[in-house]
Amino acid sequence: MTKKIGADNLGRFYTEGKVRNRREWRGFKDTAYDYTRWLGIMFTLGKFIVKPRNIKGMFRYRWMSNYLAVPMMVDRHTQGLRDEYLRMCHVEQDLIIQDVAKLLDNLFRGDKRLGNDEEFSKKVVLVDENEMTAVMMGFPTLKCLSRETPSTYVPVLLNQHSMEYYIDKIEEFGMAPDVCPMPAAEAGVSVDGDAPIVGACAIQCNTTCDGSLLSNGIIGKRLEAEGIPTFQLAAPLRHREEDVQEYAAQEIRNAIAFIEEHTGEKWDWKTYFECARRVNYATKCRQEWLDMNRTDYPQVFGSNLALYTETNYMAICGKIEAFEKADRKLTKLAEQAFEAKRMAVPEYRHRAIVWGVQSHFYFDFLLWLLNCWGIVPLTDMLSMVSTKMIAEEDTPQNREQAYYDMAWLTENMIMRNRTHGGYKVLLDELWEFVDQFNADMVILWEHTSCKALDGMHGLFEDRAREKGVHLVWVCHDLFDPRVVSRQGVRDQINSYMRTVFNEEPLDPTLEVLPDGNSW
Amino acid sequence: MGKCKKILIGSAAAAAGFVGVTFTVYFFNLDMKLTAAMEPLMLKWYDHLEKDTFI
Repeated sequence: MTKKIGADNLGRFYTEGKVRNRREWRGFKDTAYDYTRWLGIMFTLGKFIVKPRNIKGMFRYRWMSNYLAVPMMVDRHTQGLRDEYLRMCHVEQDLIIQDVAKLLDNLFRGDKRLGNDEEFSKKVVLVDENEMTAVMMGFPTLKCLSRETPSTYVPVLLNQHSMEYYIDKIEEFGMAPDVCPMPAAEAGVSVDGDAPIVGACAIQCNTTCDGSLLSNGIIGKRLEAEGIPTFQLAAPLRHREEDVQEYAAQEIRNAIAFIEEHTGEKWDWKTYFECARRVNYATKCRQEWLDMNRTDYPQVFGSNLALYTETNYMAICGKIEAFEKADRKLTKLAEQAFEAKRMAVPEYRHRAIVWGVQSHFYFDFLLWLLNCWGIVPLTDMLSMVSTKMIAEEDTPQNREQAYYDMAWLTENMIMRNRTHGGYKVLLDELWEFVDQFNADMVILWEHTSCKALDGMHGLFEDRAREKGVHLVWVCHDLFDPRVVSRQGVRDQINSYMRTVFNEEPLDPTLEVLPDGNSW
Repeated sequence: MGKCKKILIGSAAAAAGFVGVTFTVYFFNLDMKLTAAMEPLMLKWYDHLEKDTFI
């Protein structure tokens, strides 16, 4: 027995405080399912926190306090969902939670301040959060760990206010306040002495943009002071041009040689091609989901598509088998829902392409669009990543091709593949996707600190007028809700829907929410 | 047989109790209400930590 979709006024679960007053009753079947998944999440968190070094980590690192909100993050992303949509969300989120718990456990194991396992630390290679981990695909005995992912990226998904302290901290040291809050927060964690000290070496990358270069310098200086040598992997900006690919491949060879030198491990081609096969499988699945989204019955969309793609494509990059199993499960659920012509809300009023860099402090905005206004976010800029199949058979020619493939993946990392490389990838291809997905509107995130996109504002408007497509600008500041709050983000949509479309919301209780203090 | 039956009934009662308590926590969001109350105390703790802050 499933409660009818859209039967609840979801706004009435909100309070003026950090958390909701209760969880949803979705009907017996879906509530029982959600409850068992919640038990699973509790088990994962319990397994993590029973280790003394992890408790120590909880009390040492300020950013760890945000992990108190893990179950609520899942609640926010499952709001109003039933049937296959609920299950898809849990397949993804539960796996991501397990993966992040392992990441934290490994970081704390090697951290000089906590576990101080020196032998383990010698097998750790640190990578940036905004870096394709393709260079680690052939090192099965090494641990590829990111400090920025659990200290900045994940916390802001959990708690919208999590990064304010670190942004303010780096600005105390003189960083300009109009710098992108993501590298600013990462640099803030580093200068505040809140980044674990672990690893044999670090690979820093110039992706996504100059903001990363800025914070890499600050973080790299600290890493060197802590005895961790760094390598700067410089991916070319003009990633669609043939004449930069040789240079890009050489950078990959250099990075691999650096890792071998500092860890004593050798590159393993067998492992690499196994990972390459998984990368191709993930690409194939993603293409199938996007093909479904081009029809009247999209299935894997919104944050179910966006958050999972970011994790699987970039951070995992074929290295973990569990994600291949998840891809299979998601595809099966999507096909099942597609056959049944399932819909996530009673009415799809608009089909939208979401473009630009989304506000990480309000990732469940994509679900809000659907629940409040019946706007289906068919795909988003960060999910439109490389569709190229890379070489997966171990042959002498493919071993040479592999360097170019890894270089291609690195250049086409999430966000970077659109914000750099010329206006074709950022501007022209948006309108091609509008046509392909039969979209009638574009929700364009305008990250106020992102100079790459802000400079194209006028060009986007010109093209929207030319094509007769509704273009809705939504301003935000990525990691900092003090600049534009969640309600500020919603109001930009609310105003457009009421004044231009003259529509009333599907769920009026979601239009204005008292979530300024919420996690 | 009597002992077996007792064990079975006992286990069923324990399971029912476990589900009853945990479902109540789940449905009324008591886990998040508890951790939301813990957060300000933790933030106060972090404010007093001595750290190696430098650029």
